[in-house]
Amino acid sequence: MTEVVDVRSRVLAANEEAASALRSRFRADGTLVVNLISSPGSGKTSLLEATVPALRDRRRLAAIEGDIATERDADRLRRLGVPAVQILTGGACHLDARQVQRAVDDVRLGVPDILFVENVGNLICPTAYDLGEDFKVALLSVTEGDDKPFKYPAIFARAEVAVVTKLDLLPHVSFDLDAVRAQLATLNPGGTVLLTSARSGEGIAAWCGLLETRLAAKRGGAG
Amino acid sequence: MALRWYSKVGGSPGASEVHELGIAEEVYRGSRSAVATYAAARLERVRVAVGELTAIEPELLVFAWEAVTAGGPDAGAALEVERRPARQFCPTCRADRPRDAGVWLRRCEACGGALDVVGGLELDLLQVTFLADDGDDGEGGGEPGREG
Repeated sequence: MTEVVDVRSRVLAANEEAASALRSRFRADGTLVVNLISSPGSGKTSLLEATVPALRDRRRLAAIEGDIATERDADRLRRLGVPAVQILTGGACHLDARQVQRAVDDVRLGVPDILFVENVGNLICPTAYDLGEDFKVALLSVTEGDDKPFKYPAIFARAEVAVVTKLDLLPHVSFDLDAVRAQLATLNPGGTVLLTSARSGEGIAAWCGLLETRLAAKRGGAG
Repeated sequence: MALRWYSKVGGSPGASEVHELGIAEEVYRGSRSAVATYAAARLERVRVAVGELTAIEPELLVFAWEAVTAGGPDAGAALEVERRPARQFCPTCRADRPRDAGVWLRRCEACGGALDVVGGLELDLLQVTFLADDGDDGEGGGEPGREG
């Protein structure tokens, strides 16, 4: 015979429990965790490569790299002396909190001051998965369309920080920076927008300043 | 977004070409776990709520659900998706501010202030209907009247 059970639970309850456990752990460790999300090729790894020389003398940095295949991104950061664990998703379009739990258990990561989680290149799928991060960063390069925030609103509305990358290429492309700023302001009125170029170094100091401010706030709040 | 279905549908957790597949796997896991204490022979119907702002497409979710349940004991179980609209509230004007389809503006048209999102982020498992195992494996609904 047919029976009915009312459930009323979150579909992603298992992920959210894992994310919550990660958040407690990162709070206890005083680790700032940043979840980087963008299309493939927007410059997530390049931004991190530009960040490392500016911060590594003061801060212990570590990275978790999510990709469908290859260890290339983790290798790029290891060459700069940053411990990096590669998660190969085998086809999945996003990282989930349980994968991140396994990665942070890897002794190679140590207990960093700042942990960068570079998600699989994708503007849609990673949006729904909490990884225990302090905040999400959405990257957008000037070689992509300047209507992208409105076309992929879920991530740009949810990411506290939007980073425009490859700014050195701006003179060569038709990318309306003011239009992007206006879109981001309506999607996410409280958000921060940073303009950067990993190649010229423009905006990297402001990005590192934001990370330092957030790290200090987290540790001040925890103490 | 291109859909590419590999043969590993229903394989290792999280191994999904589209995120709807991963979500469907979680819905199935949650549904089965919700009826674990009953002698559930077969799931008949599962109801979920999906908010408009979750970036999850109900049609793709149903398609993924069919792929996840295919070939198993719950093949043919229906997934019903209740779409929950986005709702935005202006804390200054103390009023709901309707949102046009596809538009994600989060500024109040009246006062220019930031709007709070108060609906549309749901992704909830609501209800599971199942056929209790009463020892009768005949088709067409089983016999009523026996306590499970």
